[in-house]
Amino acid sequence: MLKVSVKWQKEVFSAVEIDTSQPPYVFKCQLFDLTGVPPERQKIMVKGGLLKDDADWSKLGVKQGQKLMMMGSVDEIVKPPENGPVFVEDLPEEKQAVALGHTAGLFNLGNTCYMNSTVQCLHSVPELKSALVNYSSSSRNNDLDQTSHMLTVATRDLFNELDKSVKPVAPMQFWMVLRKKYPQFGQLHNNIFMQQDAEECWTQLLYTLSQSLRSPGSSENPDTVKALFGIELVSRVHCQESGEESSETESVYSLKCHISKEVNHLHEGLKHGLKSELEKASPALGRSALYLKESRINGLPRYLTIQFVRFFWKRESNQKAKILRKVDYPLELDVYDLCSDDLRKKLEAPRQLLRDEEGKKLGLKTSEKNSSLKDNDVKMTDAEGSASGGGESSTNTCQEGAPTDKDSQLTGIYDLVAVLTHKGRSADSGHYVGWVKQESGKWIEYDDENPIPQREEDITKLSGGGDWHMAYICMYKARAIPM
Amino acid sequence: MAPDPNGASGSGTKDEAAAKTPAKDPKKKDEKKDEDLSEEDLALKQQLELYVERVQDPDPGLQKIALESMRQEIRTSTSSMTSVPKPLKFLRPHYGTLKNYYETMADSELKKLLADILSVLALTMSAEGERESLMYRLVGSEGDIGSWGHEYVRNLAGEISQEYAKRQSEESQIEDLMELVQQIVAFHMKHNAEPEAVDLLMEVEDLDLLIEHVDKTNFKRTCLYLTSAAKYLPGPDDLLVLDIAYMIYIKYEEYPNALQIALFLDNMQYVRQVFTSCEDMLRRKQFCYIIARHGITFELDEDIFTDDDDREALQDIINNSKLSEGYLTLARDIEVMEPKSPEDIYKAHLLDGRASAGASVDSARQNLAATFVNAFVNAGFGQDKLMTVPSDSSSGGSSGNWLFKNKEHGKASAAASLGMILLWDVDTGLSLLDKYFHSNDNHVISGALLGVGIVNCGVKGDCDPALALLADYVGKEDPSIRIGAIMGLGLSYAGSQHEQIRSRLSPILNDAKAPLDVIAFSAISLGLIYVGSCNEEVAQAIIFSLMDRSESELAEPLTRLLPLGLGLLYLGKQESVEATAEVSKTFNEKIRKYCDMTLLSCAYAGTGNVLKVQNLLGHCAQHLEKGETHQGAAVIGIAMVAMAEELGLEMAIRSLEHLLQYGEQNIRRAVPLALGLLCISNPKVNVMDTLSRLSHDTDSEVAMAAVISLGLIGAGTNNARIAGMLRNLSSYYYKDASLLFCVRIAQGLVHLGKGLLTLNPYHSDRFLLSPNALGGLVTILHACLDIKAIVLGKYHYVLYFFVLAMQPRMLMTVDENLKPLTVPVRVGQAVDVVGQAGRPKTITGFQTHSTPVLLAAGDRAELATEKYIPLSPILEGFVILQENPEYRDDQ
Repeated sequence: MLKVSVKWQKEVFSAVEIDTSQPPYVFKCQLFDLTGVPPERQKIMVKGGLLKDDADWSKLGVKQGQKLMMMGSVDEIVKPPENGPVFVEDLPEEKQAVALGHTAGLFNLGNTCYMNSTVQCLHSVPELKSALVNYSSSSRNNDLDQTSHMLTVATRDLFNELDKSVKPVAPMQFWMVLRKKYPQFGQLHNNIFMQQDAEECWTQLLYTLSQSLRSPGSSENPDTVKALFGIELVSRVHCQESGEESSETESVYSLKCHISKEVNHLHEGLKHGLKSELEKASPALGRSALYLKESRINGLPRYLTIQFVRFFWKRESNQKAKILRKVDYPLELDVYDLCSDDLRKKLEAPRQLLRDEEGKKLGLKTSEKNSSLKDNDVKMTDAEGSASGGGESSTNTCQEGAPTDKDSQLTGIYDLVAVLTHKGRSADSGHYVGWVKQESGKWIEYDDENPIPQREEDITKLSGGGDWHMAYICMYKARAIPM
Repeated sequence: MAPDPNGASGSGTKDEAAAKTPAKDPKKKDEKKDEDLSEEDLALKQQLELYVERVQDPDPGLQKIALESMRQEIRTSTSSMTSVPKPLKFLRPHYGTLKNYYETMADSELKKLLADILSVLALTMSAEGERESLMYRLVGSEGDIGSWGHEYVRNLAGEISQEYAKRQSEESQIEDLMELVQQIVAFHMKHNAEPEAVDLLMEVEDLDLLIEHVDKTNFKRTCLYLTSAAKYLPGPDDLLVLDIAYMIYIKYEEYPNALQIALFLDNMQYVRQVFTSCEDMLRRKQFCYIIARHGITFELDEDIFTDDDDREALQDIINNSKLSEGYLTLARDIEVMEPKSPEDIYKAHLLDGRASAGASVDSARQNLAATFVNAFVNAGFGQDKLMTVPSDSSSGGSSGNWLFKNKEHGKASAAASLGMILLWDVDTGLSLLDKYFHSNDNHVISGALLGVGIVNCGVKGDCDPALALLADYVGKEDPSIRIGAIMGLGLSYAGSQHEQIRSRLSPILNDAKAPLDVIAFSAISLGLIYVGSCNEEVAQAIIFSLMDRSESELAEPLTRLLPLGLGLLYLGKQESVEATAEVSKTFNEKIRKYCDMTLLSCAYAGTGNVLKVQNLLGHCAQHLEKGETHQGAAVIGIAMVAMAEELGLEMAIRSLEHLLQYGEQNIRRAVPLALGLLCISNPKVNVMDTLSRLSHDTDSEVAMAAVISLGLIGAGTNNARIAGMLRNLSSYYYKDASLLFCVRIAQGLVHLGKGLLTLNPYHSDRFLLSPNALGGLVTILHACLDIKAIVLGKYHYVLYFFVLAMQPRMLMTVDENLKPLTVPVRVGQAVDVVGQAGRPKTITGFQTHSTPVLLAAGDRAELATEKYIPLSPILEGFVILQENPEYRDDQ
């Protein structure tokens, strides 16, 4: 009988007896009693070797009082999880794009940054994307010309490709079709394509899409683009001399922000832009007279496009010169005071709801005056839940798509989602860049093929006043509230 | 070393002469020079002139009186040497006369007396290189040399060294010189001029004399001078100098110092002698701590230590079995036990919007990086937030989950990271790794084997658990399992020269069927196990293996580990490499030069040999046509050789800057790595700036090497500036997965062990170089020469070679029972006190802390209390404190 001490983890079992006549397996069973480690998982180390179950004690030369070490645990043996994790490296490219958190950039095909930045900004409108997906390449409207159809298909394909790739995309097809449809973009100078005005590209592209995406079948949704971007204006035209007054309505795709010496802020510019003077024949006076036109918004879009009128035609230099004046714009825009009285009335209820919710979010208690709405408390919490879920991302609204949706109401409050900036001194030169807010809430600067993450604070710094990029077109997204 | 006495006193004379002749009457100056002198001086002058005349008097009696008076005059005035003493000045015009008269004299006592005086006069008069002072001294009366003053002795010493060199070349007798040397050395040693004495003895190549002349008061300064001079001495002289220092230390029972020199010389005989000379058990324990820090394997003989219990206690210390405990004590004291997750290190919230969005899908590469960061940061703490979290939850535990968040070979590194987290804690480590042994995934088993090796790195147990567990897996079928076991053995038995492992690994090298990677890792492991041993058999095995490789195999990135394994065998062994270097010239030309560079740089690693640095620089200056790879090895070699001492290190940094500007791409890629090695765990600002610049280099491999090197220089320092740089780099390279991986690794290194560890292979006041540590670092650096293929490929686990160099950068004071003891210490910048008189301050700008305390690069500690006496003069690592019997509390 030998006595040895066995060390296991931090414990030492001293004076464990070894019956040298029995095989080591018996010894292991002894240790099983002490440690609870089953014999087959025991590893006993004797001077640089492992104790085998069938070894002969006499040959191992174990001495009285020797220290042995045992390794083994009762821990569960690790098993690989049934569904192992999926790694980015293994994903196909389109899924990697999802993991990346933003879409790909666009190669510059030779002064096409105006086009790239326009495409990137419009690409960020999910409703437009889904409308395009439904557009079939085969069935063309009869009243639609061939080139418009081709441009729409090219836009659809390009958007699709952008969503799927990680690497930059070359918008070759789109560029060719765009030139075909609008030959002015194909202007050459010294045998290279000239830089163009991004605003022109934006307007033309939207116009084409509004033509082609008009689905004749469904009556309720006649014009997707108009529903998304169209702003209804009601204008009062007033002649001071004669006191004549008339009112007219129109629909535009963007508001203009006029920049003059008094304008320091987007809001002022917009107000400015909604007032204009025009000269027309006055029936009362029998001659042409000066009329004052004051417009107000009568119908709000899902996406409010604002163009900074930074360029004006300078006859002397024969080019579109740029106004470098700094015009601040907010991340959150309220257009309530630009609205007509009718619209204001409609907006009141949703706005109140929104305010309450925000107050709640900030932890303020709704005032006692609103206690009449006590029974609505439950509803409101519901609303809060869905609003906070859909507040930042557009999942909530983009799925539903149509503005006529009764479930959500516009509030007149808009969040900035895309900025198209220009750097340089004239519209036909310099460099255009798109700054787009992603669904994750992060901002990406699309400088042709390079998507560069940016901070939200830096987006409002693109307001001009120097030679840095400055906002040319801003796109705001409506904050809707479910009712 | 001593300031030139002649120059200084010479200029003094001129000044004085000018001051004394304020040009009362410039015209008369020449004629009436004497009139400028004061009456006293005039009298002295006349007196001396009289003596000179009398010396030439035929009457011997008169001569004698004259000579003795003259001697008297000179002796009384030579006590200070701020200016030429007046008697010497007045005797100058008569030097020629006396010399001539001396020639005519017959041999007599008087002639000797005159010779003495002439010898002194020659101090100022003799022409350069004539050595007249020495000549007259040798024929003079052999009186007390010191009576003529210091300056005379110094002058003589200078002339002796010249004369000695001359006689050496003529092979003439030197006995008379040596006698004089004896006198001079004795004089210097008595008068606090140890450096002069040592210099003289080195010149006449008879340092043994020193031992007779040192005494209790000056041996420390003498030895300090000897050891620091050794760094600048060529060839065998340096070893001789250290030998002498060792003997002096032994003679005066300054055993810890003697032990350090013995370790420096890698002389186990000396180490043993230290143990046999010192009977005190407590002191012996301190020796064991010193050996353990150095990381060599040392078995205590049974014939020295008759008492088994004592021997076991001492061996336990050498085996580092309490290292984990001490390290955790330090961690608890500094309050850094809380585990850190990789996100705590990345600090992404401090970055602006650039940081990549919280990716919804796992990236295998980034998870692997997180695995390493987690392992490095929590190294040795025994707990972390990924691998050791309790796995009792029903889902199978997140531990298992994290393991399987790594892909294929990544799982090996993940499993092995558990070993790193439980570093040095063998018992717990093995029990936690056990579960991986039963996995059915080969990568997991491979990682578990590697983990066992890591846990046991630098810690030895009496049961040899690593060998017992790993040995069987070496011969398994699956290459990844084999590599895990082989590398594990290499890590845990580095420097042990374990015969049994050699017999297991050597056959693999020459196994025609073994895959190349298995062979490469076998070579490295053998190189580490036999590091600096010059073992012939291992060398043969690697050489044959290299010869057997085909052309295509030689072009593989991993093949570089074979020559490196060979080089490690000769680490720091200088000339011993030459035979093998000759053999390497017969290799295939693809690997020949690489092998040549590696052998050269390893053999002279840590010697500071300037000639070798120049040789290596020469190789870097060549323009290569055929895409050879050896220049990278040469650049790293420069760092390895030059890292020995501070001056050479600074020079090497400057040379590397040149390479950066003029070198070709393959050199530029290696330069950051060399800088990283030179300043490892020592973030010098200039190097940091260089690396920061290179980290944005257009060549991605230069940038990667620079990023890794930023990690190296900041390793274990928590340096805020480097951490900030790396954070910015992580946003700069957010799209480049490979560079981002490097940035993450570097971030992990900077926070190595939460800032408690160092990778510096130098320790004990930058005197000793741990061969294992350097071996590990060099292996990683060579692997980083092809960072894309090796570290970013599937051999990322080479990063675990860092474990060989990881040591706590602490001062832990323990009492006589080896329990931690808190005492106040002053920690400050070390000051070089070599060759300074008196008891100069050894640290500057210090702060007072209480132990345990962290020591940064270049820091030195001293006890701030008289209550205890440290048993080691160098306060680093574990230091035993003994109560001072003479201490009395003031209150």
